[in-house]
Amino acid sequence: MGAEVDHICPTGMSGGSAEGNDKSEGFRLRPPKCLGRPYHNGGVCQIIQTGLLRSYGVETEVVETGEAVVELIASGATFNLIIIEMLLPILNGPETVRQIRAMGAQGKILGITTFFDERDQQEFLAAGADEFIEKPLSPEIVIPIIRGLDN
Amino acid sequence: MESDLLREQISNMRQSLFVEEILEYQFLQLEQLQDNENPNFLQEIMTLYFRESPKTIAIIDQALEEHFNFPGLYKYLHQLKGSSASIGANKVTKEINQALECFKEGDIQGCKGAVQRLKQEHNILRNRLQSYFQLLRQIKIC
Repeated sequence: MGAEVDHICPTGMSGGSAEGNDKSEGFRLRPPKCLGRPYHNGGVCQIIQTGLLRSYGVETEVVETGEAVVELIASGATFNLIIIEMLLPILNGPETVRQIRAMGAQGKILGITTFFDERDQQEFLAAGADEFIEKPLSPEIVIPIIRGLDN
Repeated sequence: MESDLLREQISNMRQSLFVEEILEYQFLQLEQLQDNENPNFLQEIMTLYFRESPKTIAIIDQALEEHFNFPGLYKYLHQLKGSSASIGANKVTKEINQALECFKEGDIQGCKGAVQRLKQEHNILRNRLQSYFQLLRQIKIC
């Protein structure tokens, strides 16, 4: 994906602009809750993903494994959005989705992967996920989802 | 006056990174995430990336030398791709994609070649960003 480079405004440099705060305005009334589950946290992916979601006012909880997701849902926690990685150590992504759907989890489930594969996509969707995307998580993906949750 | 010159230098450096497609759109997202609550977000993320990625690359390198069918190779290529794509490292990510494609096809030579180029791009990215952040720090002092 090549960047359109015409005139990039270096927002990062202007010391402290208020622009960043306006983004979450529309969602403050009822902050969507998101459960993220990063695999093999090199840290970078998950920090950026969480940062992006939080910048849109989404309360985010991150757990380490598919099992932890299942436990959390089993304990009665509810989430509007659950992001599940494809590659997980024991309980893989699609299996995690299957289990939480079987427990009655109703929120939107987004399968996320590093390297798009049609079979992975089919597996995820068949298990009950709503969408399947390749990293990175971007505003183009996040904003429509959050808007959908808000309705 | 000096800070104007510095700003221009920074702007040019930044522009080049995008024009040369070393960085892509995703990097802009990271800049957006930097704000009053997280004033050093960008630099912290980059520091983390360049702390972790060399380790992953070393594992990948070793795996290719010793045992091409090492199942961990797939996992580590994925991990590296995930973090590289998340920071907008365009050329690095492209080479990782190449490596993954070759790996899927069992093309060990192709995979090795891609990993060599990946390492080069990774070094280029690190050097360019180091210079860029150095200037950014200077302007904060100005």
